[in-house]
Amino acid sequence: MGATFIVTLREAFEAALILGIIYSYLEKVGARDGVRYLTRGGILGLLASVGMGIGVSYVSGPLLDVGPDLIAIVVIFAAVGLLTWHAWWMQQHARLIRGHMQHRIDQARAANRLWVVGLIAFTAVFREGAETVLFLWGIMAQAGGGGWGSVVGGVAGIGCAAALGWAIFRGGRRLSLQHFFSVTTVFIMLLAAGLFSSGIARLQGMGLLPLSEPLWNTSWLLSDGSITGGFLSGLVGYRSQPNLPEVCAYIAYVVIVGVLLFARRAPVTVGLVSPTRS
Amino acid sequence: MRRYVALVALVAMSVGFAGAAAAADPELPLVLEKNRWQPDVIKVKAGAPFVLVITNKDKGPEEFDMATPRIEKVIPAGKTVRLKMPALKPGKYPFVGEYHSETAKATIVAE
Repeated sequence: MGATFIVTLREAFEAALILGIIYSYLEKVGARDGVRYLTRGGILGLLASVGMGIGVSYVSGPLLDVGPDLIAIVVIFAAVGLLTWHAWWMQQHARLIRGHMQHRIDQARAANRLWVVGLIAFTAVFREGAETVLFLWGIMAQAGGGGWGSVVGGVAGIGCAAALGWAIFRGGRRLSLQHFFSVTTVFIMLLAAGLFSSGIARLQGMGLLPLSEPLWNTSWLLSDGSITGGFLSGLVGYRSQPNLPEVCAYIAYVVIVGVLLFARRAPVTVGLVSPTRS
Repeated sequence: MRRYVALVALVAMSVGFAGAAAAADPELPLVLEKNRWQPDVIKVKAGAPFVLVITNKDKGPEEFDMATPRIEKVIPAGKTVRLKMPALKPGKYPFVGEYHSETAKATIVAE
């Protein structure tokens, strides 16, 4: 029971975290319309996960051999792009808020792009969702002799992750706007960097990028399979034996996106958040 | 025009070559039964790609999960999946069935 609890908690944790952050973000900036998009995106992600979980059992041949991998790769890189976009969006808001222009956020323009928030929720849930569905299915298929404890553990893990997401939402409301923006922007950036580097690793595993030797091995300190290692891997992309392309991808992402997000500039008038001068 | 034809021919040749190379990759069977991999040690030639033909004889799905290099592959219950593996340097490459990692443990040995 404990083992399956940890597995589903880990799988669902990331999605819960992202949803928790974005829900509190939307509430903070008063974009209540966005909440609907976010919820819909999450529900669609859940449905797609179940659909994919069932779908893979009905296909075979090349479709089964490469299909799920291709979908996984597309979802990973889409999630990286969307999260980057969201961090940038938050950062722009933060700039305006610093300049006491909080109330000038152009709601109408914001509404035009809120579907992106829905997409973020979709990718966040779908990315690990299909795997979680298969995992639960796997333990249920063998639940006959006293295995129901495992199923209960699995469901409890998802519930616990959802509770954590909720806690982040509640906690986020208490934080000052300034703190909330800087903490979550850095956090989302590291999460996306880890995701980006894991996408590169997946491409290597599929033989589309060259493999190379691990640069170091810290599994004696913290292995990927351990509970802490697993959580850190989801949060900041921790890997005990990363290779050169993975490390380069991570560093390049952090440097480029970090500069993009935090380089000192005058508040720019970009699309969504252009202050309306009156 | 002639250059174009030559280009098409080149592309066709390389596609054909890639196909031939893929067909020539050795295939190694791997079976999951009662949440265990059989065999639990698979010897492969280092430096050459190969194909794992994985059959899941259990009632539930399983995921082939290797940490280094990172390879994940779901094998639905009762299905067979062909998993193309990259060329490995000499060494030991452990992997698990993620959904039953206590029992489904095995190693690929590249020599």
